[in-house]
Amino acid sequence: MSAPSLALALSLLAGAAVAQDFSEGSDAREWGLYGESKAFFAATVVDPLCELTGDCPDNCGDGARQLALLREADGVMVLPLKNGQPAFTGGANELLPFCGQAVEVDGLLITDAELGAQNVYLVQTIRAEGASEWIKANRWTKDWAAANPDAAGQGPWFRRDPRIAAEIAREGWLGLGPEEDAAFLKEWFQ
Amino acid sequence: MRHFPTLAAGLALIGAALPAAAQEAERIQVTGEAIDTWCYFSGVMGGPEAVVGSSHHTCALWCSAGGIPVGLLGEDGQVYMVLKIGDDATSNGGDTQLSIASHTITADGMLYKRDGINYLVVAEVVADQDIINRTHEDFGVVPGFAIPEPGQ
Repeated sequence: MSAPSLALALSLLAGAAVAQDFSEGSDAREWGLYGESKAFFAATVVDPLCELTGDCPDNCGDGARQLALLREADGVMVLPLKNGQPAFTGGANELLPFCGQAVEVDGLLITDAELGAQNVYLVQTIRAEGASEWIKANRWTKDWAAANPDAAGQGPWFRRDPRIAAEIAREGWLGLGPEEDAAFLKEWFQ
Repeated sequence: MRHFPTLAAGLALIGAALPAAAQEAERIQVTGEAIDTWCYFSGVMGGPEAVVGSSHHTCALWCSAGGIPVGLLGEDGQVYMVLKIGDDATSNGGDTQLSIASHTITADGMLYKRDGINYLVVAEVVADQDIINRTHEDFGVVPGFAIPEPGQ
């Protein structure tokens, strides 16, 4: 093994063994979560099902699939669980416009060894590599509103979503059926 | 040549760390609860024991429909991110994953380990026990606002 090859191999080994700090340059907003750390990094937007299995539809599945960030610095595949909205909304819609593209992202990594949380992420802002303007990762509710123009009622999307409403109507808030729900609600709101 | 064992050991370790090695798959059968991985990992709604099961079912519906990755919290305590169930690869808010929110299922499929995350491609759900984790008996509803006050 040549000296440069050995050096490269050892640097990869070191990179894999030691979690890197990606907080430098981050302007991410803290959420006060246990295990959160600010993380700004360059990456390529990938379809993890494609990366892992070779099943690779056009445009990363056109929004049907979860998407991931293949980090430039170390090749780690980071999975965004969350976008920047405090509204029970994931990250895939935010990444979809950048499928296959090099981007920069800013947000929060969540790390909790006890629970097995590693390389999972809350994406707050994203921009194509070389772009000057950041885009806030808050398009999810706009996408939902466009897809559900007839959703009735007041309040946030999750109170008006037809699929969620149907599940609750069928199985109750606890998911245990109408009878258990009724008994619980009587006690819960006493 | 006298350094060969050291180099071989180093290369083996390096090989294990490279992404290509993590893309090898293993067929497994795992029994676990379909959970909302954001609330579980982040602690945003409380401790891990409170953000599973019936207490958290409504929030699990919100998060699944909202495109937060669904995971199976296995009996081994590990979380398996579900990328596909049968022919349905709609892991971003899809109907199949929504329909099993908080259910304890047994899934047969392929496990891919990559960068500390378990990814599961489910070939078949071989058993669905519905919701059996009755956490509302200990925690009520989490978050507390999940069920609106009567009349709201």
